[in-house]
Amino acid sequence: MLAASAAALPVLLAASGCRSSDAFTGPDPLAGPPSPAPDVLTLQAVITAERALIRLYQAAIGTSARATVREHGLEALLTQHQSHLTRLRSRLILPAPAPSASASPAATASGTPAAVSIAQLRAAEGASAASLLRRLATVQPALAQLFASIAASDATHAMVLGG
Amino acid sequence: MALVAPVSALQDALAAENAAIFGYGVAGAHLTGTGQAAAEQDWTGHSEARDQLVTMIARLGAAPVAARAFYQLPFAVHDAASARDLAAYLEDGVTRAYLGLVAVSDQQLRSFGALAMQGSAERAAFWRGSTQAFPGLQGS
Repeated sequence: MLAASAAALPVLLAASGCRSSDAFTGPDPLAGPPSPAPDVLTLQAVITAERALIRLYQAAIGTSARATVREHGLEALLTQHQSHLTRLRSRLILPAPAPSASASPAATASGTPAAVSIAQLRAAEGASAASLLRRLATVQPALAQLFASIAASDATHAMVLGG
Repeated sequence: MALVAPVSALQDALAAENAAIFGYGVAGAHLTGTGQAAAEQDWTGHSEARDQLVTMIARLGAAPVAARAFYQLPFAVHDAASARDLAAYLEDGVTRAYLGLVAVSDQQLRSFGALAMQGSAERAAFWRGSTQAFPGLQGS
């Protein structure tokens, strides 16, 4: 029968002469989730940066003249960044948050977004490509390849934006 | 993807550069004006990249792969439009080849490969007239 309650477990372990350190040879599962691997932390940082880039494009599209949006193909570039985010998030597998954990606050738009120029977008694309290149050294090969591909895409975006 | 042997990845990049040099010769013959000038510039860039790769491979003690006398083109090239398509096709191949270098353990080679990818992706975008979300990867 497997119906022993969690409360009864210490009693059972004590009765059998076991301590939890005897029963589990790996990380203590009662101590909470293990620390994220370095690749996970790097991926989370890249995802955060990609989200910021998407917000920048959304602000640029929302505040620029339609002719400017069309001339630079900003909608298409935004779509490609959204694809980047989807692909990056698919590589991230995290345990469900603990019930007590508070959800991270969602970014809420308040008021009119500040205008974003094409020059700002171009600079952000260049900075993103450079940042991804700096992160190549520390991650596993498959993730490094994804970063390099996204960096190359960002470099082409900077080029079509006049970089 | 597992780690890739540096010499093998460099040889793949060299093979792609050799194919690009051949292909740009064909494409350039069907282009005029700024298009032809761009093709000549890219041909020169790929020739310089080939020389650099040959040196790198030799330093690792291997014999660089030789260029073929002829490459089968992926489609008929008979005018400026198909020449531009060929140039974009060649750059896509170069980007895929350098992507292999990003999977090696040597950090300098990874950066070298990633930087080369940016150059070929930019040239592909120029010839194609549009950008891609994932240059070098499937599902671009």
